[in-house]
Amino acid sequence: MKTRQWFTLCAAVALISGGARELMAQEAEVVELALAGTRELVVKRGHTPEAAKCVECHSKVTPGVVEGWRDSRMAHVGVSCFDCHAVKKSSPMASQCTGVKGTETFISPMVSPKTCARCHPSEVEEFSKSGHARLASAPVVEKEKFQTLMYKLEGGEFMHPGKPGSTASRSTGCQQCHGTETELGPDNKPINDTWPGGVGQRYPDGGVGNCTVCHTRHMFSIAEARKPEACASCHLGPDHPDIEVYLSSKHGQVFLTHGEDWKWDSPPDAWEPGDYKAPTCATCHMSGIGELKTTHNVNERLHWDLVHAKSVVRSGERGDGEAGRELMKKVCKNCHGPTHTGSFMGQLDKAVDLYNEYYDGAEKMRIELAEKGLLKEDRWKDGFMELHYYLWHHTGRRARHGAAMNGPDYAHWHGFFQIFQVYKDMEEIYKYRLKHGKIEELSTVMNSGPE
Amino acid sequence: MRFLFKSIRKHGAVITSFVIGGFAATVLSVVAAVLVEETGDDEFCGICHEMDVYCETWVTSSHGTGNKGIEVANCVDCHLPHTDPVRYILFKAKKGIHDTSAHIRGHMPGGISRLEAREEYTFESGCLKCHKELVAPGISLKAINAHRDYKNGETTKTCITCHTDVGHGDLKAVLMEQADAQETHSGGKG
Repeated sequence: MKTRQWFTLCAAVALISGGARELMAQEAEVVELALAGTRELVVKRGHTPEAAKCVECHSKVTPGVVEGWRDSRMAHVGVSCFDCHAVKKSSPMASQCTGVKGTETFISPMVSPKTCARCHPSEVEEFSKSGHARLASAPVVEKEKFQTLMYKLEGGEFMHPGKPGSTASRSTGCQQCHGTETELGPDNKPINDTWPGGVGQRYPDGGVGNCTVCHTRHMFSIAEARKPEACASCHLGPDHPDIEVYLSSKHGQVFLTHGEDWKWDSPPDAWEPGDYKAPTCATCHMSGIGELKTTHNVNERLHWDLVHAKSVVRSGERGDGEAGRELMKKVCKNCHGPTHTGSFMGQLDKAVDLYNEYYDGAEKMRIELAEKGLLKEDRWKDGFMELHYYLWHHTGRRARHGAAMNGPDYAHWHGFFQIFQVYKDMEEIYKYRLKHGKIEELSTVMNSGPE
Repeated sequence: MRFLFKSIRKHGAVITSFVIGGFAATVLSVVAAVLVEETGDDEFCGICHEMDVYCETWVTSSHGTGNKGIEVANCVDCHLPHTDPVRYILFKAKKGIHDTSAHIRGHMPGGISRLEAREEYTFESGCLKCHKELVAPGISLKAINAHRDYKNGETTKTCITCHTDVGHGDLKAVLMEQADAQETHSGGKG
């Protein structure tokens, strides 16, 4: 072979093999990328063989779960799948995944606060006393009015009486924030879409509450729970636009502008001004700021009940309003003088008084109409009653929450501006019914809802 | 010396009764102590057949003999208070009378229905008698949080709230199996 031919051949071989190498390299990269998603973990340190087996198997089966856990503090202190998911054989939630079939290990996909309390007893105790625990799921589980709303009305039973209503509204809506009673099938796994659920979820082992609503699984991040986003998945919308109020407040403005530079993962009770330049929801309602101790009882620092139809100072299982105000003042004083704090709280008190005046007036009209038989049996077909509902549940709450957390647009436009209009409409219907001694034939209403 | 003899002669009866009384008290104390000791373990408590399941599950639990071949804690170590000897004896007498009377009347222990009331039947002072260092060197990292809160009085939870199976393992599972077996035996499950 001539030199030139040799050269051509070598060049061809080089080209082909080079291309192949590149191809192989590309392929390897793809494989590597794929592996990065399904990393096979082998853990020996700090884990029993059973616990290690869970991690190793789930790193292949559900890599997303293990990747989250790997980034968590739980992983650092050696708390793994087994510590939270292994249950006694006698547990009402005991079942077996394929990995433990035939062994004496039993597990549950559901983890109740009873489990969290084994390592975090005081946090769970505080939480249990708050409106986030039993009180949160009480409407879904205990209140007949709510059941009517979920199944007969939203669930569409009224369209075909006799046939049960759909559970879709409950499972996709109510339950996701309030929580519900977990129902189990014969294999001890949850059924009827009753799991997972929101912050007041009730578990078959008697545990009430869901810690992973704010500390989402499987990172259980303290930083995440401190950010307003943790609260925003439930505290939003037409009936209690808390995240909207916060973000449009001065506190929210500072958070939106500078929040990315703040330190979010300081230890509990040591997360203080300086780590942040304005408070988030967690700072005021829960954090150990200044002389205050961290609490998981979100009711502890509240004065007014701004949730129910009439606002009263909190008492009984809803908290201690008098003590709550003093505690909240201790939060404020980290950044505000007593004049500012006093004036702000005074504003809220006046807003609450004003709202209550509207509500009392509306109630007076309602009671008179009821006594004279001038209310429809079905309140959702009665314009007056529909407005009555929107008065307190939507626009009334918007005004109160706007006033409580410095959201002027919600206190005013979405709040009192609509309250007076709703009230005047109610007055007109009330007068008409009294004058004519009958209910108007067509509802004049459905203008009042969201916004 | 003479005075001493004189006074012995004079108060002879009193002294003799003191000596005899003292001797009798010593003997009785020893007997009582032995009785208290002897009536506090599984051998004694297990005399009554309704205690069988509790003795069996104790053997295999972390405090039983089956675990490491040695007895770690016996019945009364957990089921009687260890705050002071008087309270201990009073409780022992009270429980002894209660259990004996229940046995004679043919009453059975509550079983599954009473498991959640476990804290009424166990005493933390028993746990703390042995487990003195709750945040001791070498403690598992995961246990530090809870034990520290307990030590600082920041939780109302007791040892038994969390450590439910240290005395009898998964007692509920065993009781459930027994109930099932009984039902099958009596033809209840067709």
